[in-house]
Amino acid sequence: MNPLAPTAAGPSRPAAGTSGKENQMPAESHIADQIITALAEYLKRDKKSITLDNRLRDDLGLDSIATIELLFKLEEVFDLQIPDEDLKGLVTVGHVVKYVQKRLAPPPSKKSPQPAARAKRPKK
Amino acid sequence: MKTRVVITGLGIVSPIGIGVKDFWKAAMEGRSGVTAVKSFDPFPLEGYRSRVAAQIENFDLSQHLDFPQGARVDRFAQFALVAAKEALADSGLRMDREEAHRIGVIVGAGMGGMVMGEREVTQLYQQLRPHRVHPNLIPAITLNSASGILAMAYGAKGPNLTISTACSSSAHALGQALNCIRSGQADTVITAGADASITPLVFAGFCSLRALSTKFNETPTKASRPFDRLRDGFVLGEGAGALILESLSHAKKRKARVYAEVAGYAATSEAYHMVIPREDGVEIAETIRLALKDAGVTPAQVDYINAHATSTPVGDNVEIKGIRQVFKSRVEKLAISATKSLIGHTLGAAGAIGGIATVLSIETGQIHPTINYDEPDPECNAPGISRSAQERPVKIALINSFGFGSNNAAVVFRKPSP
Repeated sequence: MNPLAPTAAGPSRPAAGTSGKENQMPAESHIADQIITALAEYLKRDKKSITLDNRLRDDLGLDSIATIELLFKLEEVFDLQIPDEDLKGLVTVGHVVKYVQKRLAPPPSKKSPQPAARAKRPKK
Repeated sequence: MKTRVVITGLGIVSPIGIGVKDFWKAAMEGRSGVTAVKSFDPFPLEGYRSRVAAQIENFDLSQHLDFPQGARVDRFAQFALVAAKEALADSGLRMDREEAHRIGVIVGAGMGGMVMGEREVTQLYQQLRPHRVHPNLIPAITLNSASGILAMAYGAKGPNLTISTACSSSAHALGQALNCIRSGQADTVITAGADASITPLVFAGFCSLRALSTKFNETPTKASRPFDRLRDGFVLGEGAGALILESLSHAKKRKARVYAEVAGYAATSEAYHMVIPREDGVEIAETIRLALKDAGVTPAQVDYINAHATSTPVGDNVEIKGIRQVFKSRVEKLAISATKSLIGHTLGAAGAIGGIATVLSIETGQIHPTINYDEPDPECNAPGISRSAQERPVKIALINSFGFGSNNAAVVFRKPSP
């Protein structure tokens, strides 16, 4: 079982997307700013020196563990869980920003599961 | 003929000083590093029977070392990084001129990354959010994170080993480093011991084991009192010690300053009890005999013993019994001191720090006091234990180190011939 999978959310905290965040979603530029700020803190460098085009590995020098640490931080900041299969698309800072924006966007209403359509939960 | 192995560099992070100079000055002055435990927030301190510890205040790795990867390892491994940096600088070893695969790292650690380990376990059980367990938890709590990070920081590509034998870990590390060089696996071994586990869980565990001092909570500097009649348990400490061991020929070739020779080593098991030593001291005596034999010296040649002496009622008695069995009348002329009187019991670092104190005594002819030795206990008395500093030439010295798991180790040091 994938330990990062969203189903592993603890009962004390609702999973992202059901927490009411849709109504208070940060503006896009604010998301980029938060991500770049987190990166700058992690890398101990001026945030102005980090651009959306920067590649995490080749330009910013993040190895695979450093990338995981960064994503761990972003999961906390944005109350997200990022599954393993999404990691490989995150090459540049811009990719990460877009990914987070997408994850925080309210789901299109037609795809929203209606309460009645949800799978029935076991009684116990 | 065994390859001769010498010590060419020392480094220390201790509750009475970071750096050998500060440590030794404080040790010779008999300064105690034991203070009151301020807080195990949110646990009420009243829940702890013992409330004193030998802590290192305000430690910040970045003030000692520019090595960002060091932020990923736990406190004990950060201590080891700082101690090893000093020891390497002290040795004058130029890593860029050495063959990296001929430099090993052997570290003794008893508890490992308990600071991060406890924090993460607590958060997991309180918050029930497995996905928020830190990605560095596993590499940070692994015992060999210290030996691993030392190799990365300093470029040592030879054997990289961690010895974990509880409180005797780094005495064993010294011995195994000696054997590593003797066997030809390496020319140089960065040898260290480190532990940092003054944490709510570990501290409670030692309290529950009734191993810690509890009668001196109001007077912390009096709590660690090896061999004294009022001793009532050890004081938990933290720290790291590092020693650069290399073959004599390698040290000569690069014209290194030699502090002392590591002349002999023995490791035994009492095969008796997880936490209690045999009360007759015969296994301790046998360990000392084997170490002296390995060094090719007789008991009559030994000048000084840096005792294990944790300040527990049983342990100190047994050690002196063992010493008396080996040294007989020589006990009257032996100097004995207990470094733990100053800095408490640093667990996996204790052997390395005891080794450093011993090497400094060989170098300076000075032996640090055993503080709080106010009233000799007839059960573990010896004339060479002193609460004052002693001045006397030390040519051959011994360190004892014993650990949970029925482990004993002894290491013999010799003054280098001029």
